[in-house]
Amino acid sequence: MDWECCWSKDEITPEGCPYIGDGEEDLYTSHRRRVVEKCVECPRFKNDLARMKSTGQPLAEVLPYILTEFQEQKAQMGAMLSFLNSKTREIKFLREVGLVLQTSLDLDEVLSVAMTAITAGKGFGMNRAFLLMTDKERRNIRGYLGVGPKNYEEAWHTWEDLSRSNFTLKELAKNFQKTKLTSEKVKFHDILSLLTVPLSDQGHIFNRALRGKKPILVENALNNPDLDRGLARILGVDTFLVMPLISRNRRIGVIIADNCITHKPITLQDMQSLETFAFPVAFALERASLYERLQEEVAKQKSANLKLREQQELIVKMEKMALVGKITSSIAHSIRNPLMVIGGFARTLLKGTAEDDERHGYLESIVRETRQLEEVLSEVLDYSESLFPVMDLWDLNKLLSSAIDELGTTLEESGVVCRQELASELPMVRVDYKQISYCVKTIISTALAAMERGGELKVETELDGDGVLVRISDSGTALTQQAQDALTTPFYLTQEMGGGVGLSLCKTILERQGSSLSIMNRPGGGNTYSIRLSTRKEAI
Amino acid sequence: MAQLLVVDDEANIRLLYAQELSDEGYQVVTAGSALEAVEKLQESAFDLVVLDIKLKNESGIELLQRIVKERHNLPVILCTAFSCYKDDFSAWLADGYVVKSSDMQELKDEIKRVLTKRQKAAQAAG
Repeated sequence: MDWECCWSKDEITPEGCPYIGDGEEDLYTSHRRRVVEKCVECPRFKNDLARMKSTGQPLAEVLPYILTEFQEQKAQMGAMLSFLNSKTREIKFLREVGLVLQTSLDLDEVLSVAMTAITAGKGFGMNRAFLLMTDKERRNIRGYLGVGPKNYEEAWHTWEDLSRSNFTLKELAKNFQKTKLTSEKVKFHDILSLLTVPLSDQGHIFNRALRGKKPILVENALNNPDLDRGLARILGVDTFLVMPLISRNRRIGVIIADNCITHKPITLQDMQSLETFAFPVAFALERASLYERLQEEVAKQKSANLKLREQQELIVKMEKMALVGKITSSIAHSIRNPLMVIGGFARTLLKGTAEDDERHGYLESIVRETRQLEEVLSEVLDYSESLFPVMDLWDLNKLLSSAIDELGTTLEESGVVCRQELASELPMVRVDYKQISYCVKTIISTALAAMERGGELKVETELDGDGVLVRISDSGTALTQQAQDALTTPFYLTQEMGGGVGLSLCKTILERQGSSLSIMNRPGGGNTYSIRLSTRKEAI
Repeated sequence: MAQLLVVDDEANIRLLYAQELSDEGYQVVTAGSALEAVEKLQESAFDLVVLDIKLKNESGIELLQRIVKERHNLPVILCTAFSCYKDDFSAWLADGYVVKSSDMQELKDEIKRVLTKRQKAAQAAG
């Protein structure tokens, strides 16, 4: 008999069967496989079977039963195989994700892995996912991170890129954490900021999911009066999955997943897979956030310890200072008061003694010698004080104004006008007030010395990086380099001026406080003295 | 004639102050302790107080604080044997500071400065 179908032939040519496609060429020569895979479903074979039946062939009567059964079994096998494949993939994937989730203490890594797993084709293949977490105060659930494309174009680009790459899930997650985590947070900021829900809002779907500890699939949200339409509007989809994240009865947060681009239905299978996945994610998120909080606490503790140590050092230093202060103060009192009495009464007596009286000379000696002793005492006390500068934050402008104020009479007597150009809103400077005030007054006195016939003294302040610049300028005679050297070297004598320690002590004090003193000739005549004082705490 | 109250715990120094400042034309009243100073302040009106920062068993700073609190307009010049007064912020309430010296010119200048300043301020206030 001449059959329509090729089932009776051992080998056929491509024209022999129209149902064999590209890649199946081996079926032309493999008779058994061709019959099992193609002929049993071929309409020509069904025609041949009908013809066979009409010829009274008894096998043709029962063969369709066997064929139907075979096809059903085959379909079932196919479904089972696909189920098995998807489960295998899921297990493999869960294992891969689980490994990271079990070990990672880095919140960003956990987030990246979880969100990549939900949205990657190799994972659960959802189009988009949002993670919401309960805040530290445990009052609200807040939008934390969104992952996925915003529109079709972006989706198309991303998916095309991914289809070309052959990354494992772990690699994808790592890539995500490195290149996209921050930008995705920003990208979905608008949606995330609208997703804050109080944990006390019992009726809200997030809280319902958390209470029920089960995912909720929301369908047709825009037309369902029982559901929150606002949420669907924010998300821009009417079908989405709300998955609670719970770890040891603690409400960690919620994941919302949807297929906003493809609108592929979310199946029961998807829901179950995600539910299995939610547990390790919740656990890992909780652990990572606890770890993060722990780190914060450790950092706080560390800084507290550091502060404590600084304080202890300060206390020791202050104790030393207090001791030095006590000793010097006691010396000061026990020496200065008697000196004052001796010298003071000698002066009084001197006033009432005639110059030709031989006692006049004696009294003059007492006055002179006590004065000298007082000076030596002052120097010793000043030096002991300068050993321990008391660094604190001070308003430099006020310091300058009050120093200028103190010298008011001297300025007036010298016929010098003082112009203050102080910058407003300067930060506080970290200095020893007394010492810097001393330096400023000494510089002003030096400047006055250069203006014997009066003139103008200019005091300026200016912000300079993390410091403040003070410039004191006179309109007097410009100092030569030699004169400048003389001023800053202790007991240096020149013809122009007497020796002393004034400016040289200033220089030492300023250097000890991390500052410096420079003297420059002004272009139009006169000199400018500059000091730069730091606002930083660690200057000393 | 301005009336000054000088507070110092050393009798010799009080005597010295009294002599020198009287020579300058001031009317000088002295007190050897904070308690005595408070009494004197209640007895008569003063134009200025010259106060030793370190009185026996008590601090001149406390007296200064009390004066500033109770008599806002009474200027005070602090005298000290040692320039440590600025360590105590409350010392900043004083109108002037002088380091004790056998040469009292600095104190005399300071008294003149503070009194003139007060006078000008009073005139400006009408």
